[in-house]
Amino acid sequence: MRRYKTSYPISWRFMDVLEAAFALVLPRGGGRLTPYLLLTPAVLLVGTLAVGLLYIGDSSLRVLDRSTFLFSDYWTLENYQRAFSESFTATIIWRSLVGAVIVTAVTLLLAFPYAYVMVRTSSALLRKFLLVALFLPFFIGQVVRAYGWLIILGNQGIVNDALALVGVEPLRLLFNYPAVLFGLVQYMLPFGVLMLAPALTAIPEDIEAAATSLGANWVRALFHVVLPMARPGLIGAGVVVLTLSLTDFAMPAILGGGSQDFVANAIYDQFFRTSDQGFGASLTLILIAVGSMTVGLIFAVFGAGTLALGANRK
Amino acid sequence: MTEIQAAAVSAINVEMTFGTFKAVKDASFELQNGKFLTILGPSGSGKTTLLRLIAGFLTPSSGEILINGRSVRAVAANKRSIGMVFQKLALFPHMTAAENVAFPLKMRRFDARTIPDRVAQYLKLVRLDGFENRRIHELSGGQQQRVAIARALVFEPDLLLLDEPLAALDRKLREEMQLEFRRIQKELGVTTINVTHDQREALVVSDQVIVMNDGEIQQNAAPTQMYRMPSNPFVANFIGVTNDLSGILTRVTSADATARFGNVELMGVHGGAVALEDGTPIKGAIRAEQIRIASAEQSMAGLDADFRGTVLDAIFEGERHVYEVEVPELGGESLKIIHHDRNDQSALEPGALVHIGWKNRDLQIFPAKQ
Repeated sequence: MRRYKTSYPISWRFMDVLEAAFALVLPRGGGRLTPYLLLTPAVLLVGTLAVGLLYIGDSSLRVLDRSTFLFSDYWTLENYQRAFSESFTATIIWRSLVGAVIVTAVTLLLAFPYAYVMVRTSSALLRKFLLVALFLPFFIGQVVRAYGWLIILGNQGIVNDALALVGVEPLRLLFNYPAVLFGLVQYMLPFGVLMLAPALTAIPEDIEAAATSLGANWVRALFHVVLPMARPGLIGAGVVVLTLSLTDFAMPAILGGGSQDFVANAIYDQFFRTSDQGFGASLTLILIAVGSMTVGLIFAVFGAGTLALGANRK
Repeated sequence: MTEIQAAAVSAINVEMTFGTFKAVKDASFELQNGKFLTILGPSGSGKTTLLRLIAGFLTPSSGEILINGRSVRAVAANKRSIGMVFQKLALFPHMTAAENVAFPLKMRRFDARTIPDRVAQYLKLVRLDGFENRRIHELSGGQQQRVAIARALVFEPDLLLLDEPLAALDRKLREEMQLEFRRIQKELGVTTINVTHDQREALVVSDQVIVMNDGEIQQNAAPTQMYRMPSNPFVANFIGVTNDLSGILTRVTSADATARFGNVELMGVHGGAVALEDGTPIKGAIRAEQIRIASAEQSMAGLDADFRGTVLDAIFEGERHVYEVEVPELGGESLKIIHHDRNDQSALEPGALVHIGWKNRDLQIFPAKQ
C-alpha cells in the first residue's frame, strides 16, 4: 500500500476524477472546440460589461426633465455640453488625473526599493516579513483602512494627541488633497510591489555582478542596467496603479470628506443622490475616455511593458 | 641588480566559510604575469567560489589575495582591474553589442572621444566587426560569447576571469571558442584565470592547471605534468579515463614500487613525495589509452606487463574504440581500454579473446588513503 502511495501520488488520483468528470461533460475529449468552450464564461462576463456600457451610452444621451423627473425620449448631447461647460467637471477630472499621476510616481518610487530588497535579500526571514507586511493590508480592505487613517490623523487623533503633548496646536491633517493622496499611495503600494517583483526577479543577479566588475558603482549600475531592464515591470505597475487611482472612490470619499471628490465620487452623486443618471452616465464615459487616452499615451511613449505579455517583450 | 617581479595573482592560505560549510580550504597558489591558469574541478569543489573571491564579489574568511603584489582585501569589486566573463554571460539585453563593449569604458570614465575607436578595435579582435548595432538577442551563442570577451577586455584589465562561459555551448562550438580564448589571450598577453569542469578544456588552453575537490587544491601543475604525474588518485581519475586497481605494496624504492594485484605482482611508479611502506594497501591507476590491446593471435612487442583477457563490451566512438576487458589474472577486474585504430584493423567483438599490456612507467601507485 505504501509503495502504491509513493509511486502514484494522491494528486494524480484527484486528476483521474477530474478527467472522468470532464469526459462525462465532453465525450471523446471535446476536440478542437474545447479551448473556446473553456473561454466562454470569461467572455460572457466581459461581454455583459460591454452591454452595460451600451446602456450607459444610451443614458448619457438622454437629458433629465427636472419638472417631471423623466428622461427625454430623444437623444441629445446636452449632458456632454453641460459637462464641458461647467468648471466643476474640469476641476474633478484635473484633480483625479493629477492625483493619479502623483500617486503613481510616489508609489513606484517607494515600491521599487521594497520589491528590490524582497527579491534580492539572502535572508529568508526578511523576505517572509516583507511579503506578510505586503499582504496584510489586503485582508483589511480599503474602507477599513481609510477609517483607520481617520482615527490616526483626526483632530482628536493619535498624531494630534502626540503633538498636543509637546504643545503644538492641533493640525488639520484630514479632508484635504494631501490626505487623499497619502491614503491612495498607502493603498496602491502593495499593487506596485507585486507588479514590480516578477520584473526584478527576471533580472539575473549576475547582470549586476557584471556591471560591478565592469566598474559601475551601485548608483550607476541602478541607472544604467537595473532600471532599464526593470522597465517593463515599471510600466506594468505604473499603468495598474494609475488606472486604479484615477477611478478610486473610497479614499477621496472618506479622507477627502466631500471636499476632494474624484470623478468616481461625482458619478456616484449623480446616480444615487441627484438621480440624474444621464449626467452620471456622461461623466462615466468621459472618465473612461480620459483613462483610455492616458494609458494609450503611456503605451505609445514607453511601450506596453509586462502588459504586452508574450509578444514583443524584448 | 635583478628586480623581483611580483606574481600577477597570489592566494595565501585563502579560506571561505558559508555558515558551517567550508567552500575553500587553505588555498595557496601563484600565477605569473601573462599566464593562463585553469581551475578544474567537479561542481561543488569550490572553484567558482575561489574565482568570486578573486573578483571581489566575496571577501575571504581568512587569508589574503594579492594582485600584482598588493592585497586586494580592501578594494571593492568595481575598483579592481579585472575583466570577467560570466557563466551565463550576463550581457545587457537592452544595449547593442557595441554599447555592451562601451559600457566598462563609460563606467571607468575613459575619454568619450576615444571610446568609439577602442570599441571598434576590440570588436575586430573578437571578429565581430559589422555586428556593432545588433541587439544581444539577435546574435548567435558564439557571437554572444565574443561580445562578452570583448566587454571584459576592452578596458585592458590586469586580469581576465572566465567563469565556465563555455559550459552551455555544444561541443563543436565549445572547442572552437576554447581555441579562440587561447588566441586572444596570447595576442593580448593578459593574465587569465579560467574555471571549468571540462578536463579537456583545461589541458587544451592552459599554461597551468589547478585541480580542486571538496574545497581543497589537489594539484597545481602544468597540463602535461598534471596528465603524466597526477599527485593522487582523485586527479588521476578526474583527468582522462583511468582504471583503478586495488593492491598491496610488496617492495618500494625511491623510483618505483611493486605491488600485488590479484594473482600477479606489477611494477609501477610513484610520485616519491609520499612515503609508502611495504604491506600497505595501495591504489594503482592506469590510463585507458595507455593500455595496448590486440587479438589473442597477434603479438605486441615492448610491453612490461602482458595479460590475457576477454572483451566484455566494445563501443565505437568514431576515431577510437573503447573496450571493456575482463582480466582473470588481475582478480577478475575489468579494464577500460581506449584504442585508436590507425591501421583500420577490424574491431574486436564482445567475447573475443585478447591480450593486453602496458609499460611499467604508465602504472601510477598511490597510497590507498590520503
